[in-house]
Amino acid sequence: MIRTSTVLLAILISFQLHAQNKKKSNYTQSSTKKQDAFLQKQWWIGLKGGVNFTQALPGQRYSVLSGTTNYPLGQLEKQYEGFSKTGSQATLEITFYMKGFSFSFQPTYRHSRFRYSNQFEWTDTENSANSLLLNYKQENKVDYVDLPLIVKYDLTKTKLRPYVQAGAFYSMLINATKSVAVEGVDYASGGINQFSNEPLIVGATDLYHNSYWGILFGGGADYNLGNVRLVMDVSYRIGMSNVTNTSNRFSNDRLSGIGDAMDDMKLNNIVISAGCLFPMRFLGTGFKTLDR
Amino acid sequence: MKRLLPILIAGLVLACANDPDPAADKAQFVRIYDNTRFNASYFPIDIRQTTDGGYLILGGRRLSTSNFTGIYLMKVDEFGKFISDVEVPDAMVNPVGPLLESNGKFYFFCMTSVGLQTQLQEVDPSGAIANTINIGGTYPMAAGTDNSNFLLLSYDIANKKSQVSIIGSNGSVQKTKGFNIGAGDAVEEPIINHFLRTGKQLPFQVGKAGSGQYFFNGFYNYTLSLVFTDLNADNPLGVVQGQQDKGGFSQVLPLEGNAFAAARFNFGDNYILPNLSINSSGVSSITDLGGNNFPELVNDAPIRILKTTISSKEVLIFASNTRSRTIALFFYDKVSGAFVGSHYLGFSNPFEVTNLVATVDGGVSVCGTTYVAGRFPRICIFKLSKETLSGSLQK
Repeated sequence: MIRTSTVLLAILISFQLHAQNKKKSNYTQSSTKKQDAFLQKQWWIGLKGGVNFTQALPGQRYSVLSGTTNYPLGQLEKQYEGFSKTGSQATLEITFYMKGFSFSFQPTYRHSRFRYSNQFEWTDTENSANSLLLNYKQENKVDYVDLPLIVKYDLTKTKLRPYVQAGAFYSMLINATKSVAVEGVDYASGGINQFSNEPLIVGATDLYHNSYWGILFGGGADYNLGNVRLVMDVSYRIGMSNVTNTSNRFSNDRLSGIGDAMDDMKLNNIVISAGCLFPMRFLGTGFKTLDR
Repeated sequence: MKRLLPILIAGLVLACANDPDPAADKAQFVRIYDNTRFNASYFPIDIRQTTDGGYLILGGRRLSTSNFTGIYLMKVDEFGKFISDVEVPDAMVNPVGPLLESNGKFYFFCMTSVGLQTQLQEVDPSGAIANTINIGGTYPMAAGTDNSNFLLLSYDIANKKSQVSIIGSNGSVQKTKGFNIGAGDAVEEPIINHFLRTGKQLPFQVGKAGSGQYFFNGFYNYTLSLVFTDLNADNPLGVVQGQQDKGGFSQVLPLEGNAFAAARFNFGDNYILPNLSINSSGVSSITDLGGNNFPELVNDAPIRILKTTISSKEVLIFASNTRSRTIALFFYDKVSGAFVGSHYLGFSNPFEVTNLVATVDGGVSVCGTTYVAGRFPRICIFKLSKETLSGSLQK
């Protein structure tokens, strides 16, 4: 709702500015040169919001459970679901434009989600009716403040300007929680007893390192609407450092008690945002404030 | 500004540095040793750290061929990762802790499933049985060390005696003395139930006090008693009488002279006595000893005591099982006997303590049983770092 209101407000402002500009006219050739020089640079500021999808890439694997002799290989390894859960983010964009290049600082509050699962099975070699299957589904929710520095390059100078972008970011952990749901099938009950337990939700901030960094690349498009700019972009963010707190891996009794320990892992994100930017340098005359 | 930017970037990258940390992985971990067999049942009896930093665990296992407990040995590395295990053949049963150390080797007592003869098993640090020596006698109940020799408390079923023996690491019986448990089958019944694990697990113990006297916690004169002896006189030097099998010491840890750290139970209640002076001559009653009552512990809780150093302070750790199925660690100042902190282990699945040992890195490893998926008994280890222990002490 807030995002919709922001976009509508931006559109109204753009029409107002557009109407005012129509009333202005008649510039000399010399002033046009000055204006050209002026328009080679511009500051933009605005807000963006959108969704993100997260993939956790495990490094060194850890587990509270340790298999003894003849334990099935791989049963202890978590199965990660990549880009399956939708997160969201809100961004303040501050961009300096110069000669087709934009240098952008985009502090972002990001809420990301990802999930992994473990499946365990116990069987009786002498009585095949005796078996138990358990499936642990663990959803992680992490909140970060991202501080990215991005360079954009406009591919055209048309009203609709596609661009490519690349940069690096530093992310600071704000909060993290884990939700563990256990489902199972007990075949030893004299029938097929399917059951599921209430999810256990625990604070997991201590299990994550307080920061990580990464690089990003992507693309997007600006659409100049009057004197404001509508923007939509997609970036792929590659985490370059481990997000797990290596010294607190086993510190949460609740998670250890149910057999969970965090793997070393890096987070990758697909971030899709849309928003509106406003120029910070206006002219008193009638020509457009938009950069060229 | 041009110089500041690289410094700033380098600083941020360094702030994110969070590489795998083997030292942290060794210092603190939780491990549950799982087996996919539906009907497998394992429980630990004792844990010892080996010279390679790993751990050797003596355990028991359910047998389908005997009413007694089978023997299970497991070796894990310094990270707690499983390395190997041995299910000792069913001919050997009833393993008795603790794991005894002598000249870099580990030993434990057990008995044959046929004939019930006591055996001394030598275990190499990898967890394999290296040698088996027949000791004779029946029903080993508890063991301890006396310099390079071993102390053995056993039950002489033919003569109905609690028997204390000094045994060399080569298996030679150097001294033995028996003490009557009392006439009649009733007094013997809890002992047999203990062996068959069909009744209460009794806190049998044998050791040497700071005064130089030997002691055992076992049946004497119809009650579970703490008995002091020099292994020469036929009668005990001193006795602290329990309440049949309903009251007695849960464990004692000899300190200096006649001082002990002790825990006792009495008709379900549990008491901790961090600094207890026991009269090792004459007869006294355990009910006169008082102590700190712990209603949060399960009835007649097993309690293990460890003396260690945390933050340069000598501390006694009492480990036991709570009614909420967690493992509780209570910390007491060894000198003053004052309570100085607590720490709880486990959640969700039930956890029960078996023993705890100090580790070479200043931490503590707590070994116990958990019930994976709420039903499968499995061995577990909580390794606590010295920082965690220090944080558990009241500031």
